Amino acid sequence: MTSLDELQNRFQHAVLSRDETPGLFVAEGSEVAGGLRLYLMAYRARLLSALRDNYPVLHRALGDEFFADLAHDYIEAHPSCYRSIRWYGDTLADFLAAQPERLPHPALVDVARMDWAIRGAFDAPDTLLLSLAELAELPTGEWPRRRFVPIPSLCLLELNWSVEPIWRALNEDAEAQTEAPEALAHVLLVWRPELDCLWRSAEPVEVAALSALLHGANFAECCTAIAAAGESDPATAAAGLLQRWITDGLLQKEPGKQEIG
Amino acid sequence: MNQRIQGFGLGLRTDHYSDFVTAPQKVDWLEIISENYMVDGGKPLHFLDRIRQDYPMVMHGVSLSIGSTDPLDDDYLRMLKSLARRVEPAWVSDHLCWTGTDSLNLHDLMPLPYTEATLRHLVPRVAQVQDVLGLPFLLENVSSYVSYRSDEMKEWEFIGELAARSGCELLLDVNNVYVSSVNHGFDPQVFIDAIPVAAVRQIHLAGHEDHGNYIIDTHDHPICDAVWDLYAYTLRRFGAVPTMIERDDNIPCLDELVDELDAVRLLSERVLAEQREAA
Repeated sequence: MTSLDELQNRFQHAVLSRDETPGLFVAEGSEVAGGLRLYLMAYRARLLSALRDNYPVLHRALGDEFFADLAHDYIEAHPSCYRSIRWYGDTLADFLAAQPERLPHPALVDVARMDWAIRGAFDAPDTLLLSLAELAELPTGEWPRRRFVPIPSLCLLELNWSVEPIWRALNEDAEAQTEAPEALAHVLLVWRPELDCLWRSAEPVEVAALSALLHGANFAECCTAIAAAGESDPATAAAGLLQRWITDGLLQKEPGKQEIG
Repeated sequence: MNQRIQGFGLGLRTDHYSDFVTAPQKVDWLEIISENYMVDGGKPLHFLDRIRQDYPMVMHGVSLSIGSTDPLDDDYLRMLKSLARRVEPAWVSDHLCWTGTDSLNLHDLMPLPYTEATLRHLVPRVAQVQDVLGLPFLLENVSSYVSYRSDEMKEWEFIGELAARSGCELLLDVNNVYVSSVNHGFDPQVFIDAIPVAAVRQIHLAGHEDHGNYIIDTHDHPICDAVWDLYAYTLRRFGAVPTMIERDDNIPCLDELVDELDAVRLLSERVLAEQREAA
């Protein structure tokens, strides 16, 4: 008699490997047991649907058939270990990057990275935002030691291509005509200050400053990072960046003043 | 905020968030898919909190994997409990199935073999979930497309036995009973007749995809005539049980679903009135 453990292992293996005769079912291999085929198909259809949801712009850029071909190979190579299907596909960009010859353009790897980063910001933790008024109340003497903390959804995404125009165009219109992007190593900021996700590119000085804050730097240490990035007047640059970050909703209210978790 | 669930509900879907936020709807309660809200923040939780202010809710999961031979996932249970604290649902449900083993998830509701060994496996796991949640815990019968050679009893016997031994309550999915009855060639009324009345706390109705000699439980069509008939039969056995429509694909505008829910309401009122007159 088949133990429950053995039954589940054999059934799961049948689904993952498309084995239609695992020796478990009544009338296996007959028309009636076509039921097993339904599990094999449903598994792949469900994961394909999840990838389409998680990579909406890549899906539009590649077209449904091309996307499905790549997705099916990914699905065969990457069974899900997530409780929620929302997280399925986390390594798709790396999967594509490892075989750029299969893509019509290598920049599509960056389109995938941008899709995933925005998906991540979508349901990242909420937080209250630091306001310019609160910044103005900060005593001058406290500035050097003050730690300005980026909001939890902030992601510094390293891209190799200027894909933002394509991403924007296809996000707004599935049929948009787009130009091939140019090679451009840069960092894209992705974040969600309230309900909607935002993104923009950042210069190296700003990236250095935000990276420092993400590693727990205080304002003085942030200025040091800005100077190391080549800025001749780091204090003025830092003050300007702070103002911009607060306006953009990139910094969270001081932890002790948070009212939500 | 924990309100009594009665009457007729719908599954809350993102397509209908704005409808529920902007105007009162003729829906008595809502069921949420737990996993859709087991996230840190953003729009899902924003709309959940907003809509919860106006509607009683129940939570319905798809990934507990109560029947898997993997240990129950403590992290998952913790997150489920945390969501339950936020939502204050009248109860929490999931499916009588397994969804994967060896730490993988097939993201499907895989049927269990109906055996004594499976029952012995399930009973302590149900108790573990009940202990963690501290809320009524319901299990739903799933649609299935295969029968195991190792089955020792019928599905309805298995469910009745599980309810008796574990104390879990039941979410009776009438559409799933019908789908499985066609796929496996049994009389759906025999299934309904065998389910213990006191254990059923909620009923699901849904549409499916009919392929002639088999049916796929797709939740992408209106309720079909055969399921309406089986629901009427179910009402005669179970009386007034909170009932809702599940729609997960090809989702129509909310008005269309509310109209379908009105039809459920009318059928229920008619059947229960006939029963009272006959008594």
